[in-house]
Amino acid sequence: MSSHAATTQVKSHWGGGGVSPLGASYGKLYMWFFLVSDAFTFSGLLTAYGFMRHKYTDFWPNPGHVFHHFPFYDGSIPLAYVGLMTFILIMSSVTMVLAVEAGHRKQNKEVAKWMLLTIIGGLMFVGSQAWEWYNFITGTAEGAVRNILVDGVWQDQLIHGANLQYNEYGLPVFGDFFFFITGFHGFHVFSGVVINFIIYLNVINGTYEKRGHYEMVEKVGLYWHFVDLVWVFVFTFFYLL
Amino acid sequence: MEFNDGYPSYETMALHDEEHGKHVRKVIWKVFWIMLGVTLLELFVGFKAEDLHLGKTFLKIFFIGLTIVKAAYIVMSFMHLGDEVKALKWTLLGPFIVLILYLVFMVDLGEGNYAKSRRYVMDKNVTNAQHHEAGAAHEGSEAHH
Repeated sequence: MSSHAATTQVKSHWGGGGVSPLGASYGKLYMWFFLVSDAFTFSGLLTAYGFMRHKYTDFWPNPGHVFHHFPFYDGSIPLAYVGLMTFILIMSSVTMVLAVEAGHRKQNKEVAKWMLLTIIGGLMFVGSQAWEWYNFITGTAEGAVRNILVDGVWQDQLIHGANLQYNEYGLPVFGDFFFFITGFHGFHVFSGVVINFIIYLNVINGTYEKRGHYEMVEKVGLYWHFVDLVWVFVFTFFYLL
Repeated sequence: MEFNDGYPSYETMALHDEEHGKHVRKVIWKVFWIMLGVTLLELFVGFKAEDLHLGKTFLKIFFIGLTIVKAAYIVMSFMHLGDEVKALKWTLLGPFIVLILYLVFMVDLGEGNYAKSRRYVMDKNVTNAQHHEAGAAHEGSEAHH
């Protein structure tokens, strides 16, 4: 009887009742659908950015001129630091997928090791982003004279760096998009670190060892890779193009 | 509801032995080196774009193309979508095909061309404050117009 039931369940991906559709567990499906909706949110943000960028092509700041700082180095190396940040995030994606692989072999200690490295990578990335924001907000020592609104009157003033109202490097809307989109992504990374940490605690407590599978690691892995995926796009549209 | 048909649960179906794990890890590292190589190439071209006099259209296609290559590796390999059933792949990726078409026609070919043809008129309409801020950048760009 049971073998008959097994063959019918394998064939039907849309089976009802206790079997989840599409040949994946409910947990993974829900994570996937959440990520699709989240991807559309980011698409919306980046599409707005794209429209503005086309509209003000001639006024757009050159990212290479804005983001050229490197820690412990006074000179200017365009894009080097953001390249390093991208490397850190790709690396933490690799450690995450290695944690998932170790989970498939039920190697508890190995899963814990790779999860911990993923968390460290995530923290390094959030820290790097804070540093990048700090430089953008502080700006250059020389600054630039901009016509800004002070107490309801437009007047020329020497300003340094950028915030949501003015931007030393060019159009204020560039700063608005930068703060909002990298901020929204940074918050995703931060959430990811927190979720990864909770799962890490479960791993070292042996929760998944008892359960017999490490699917929770796989699910948070999906979220973590998504964060990396969004960064790949943010990196291209903000820094390269 | 307990459901028991003697068939292993989806959660445990992905389990594999040491031998298979070795192969999986090899693929992971291969994907890592590809991603690193692509990122370094992007940075190099981004760094040299001004010196090499690369056209805007070329850069757009080059960077967005490589971004999609990287995105495909993340989704298909790291997120294991490549191992899922065909129906799930289409369910998740289908909507984005529509979105990408929309973006190509609307943002790039649509608004992009419109903005190009209307640029002179538009520059005059940029508000006082924005015009002031853009002053330096504007002088530079008018040289090659």
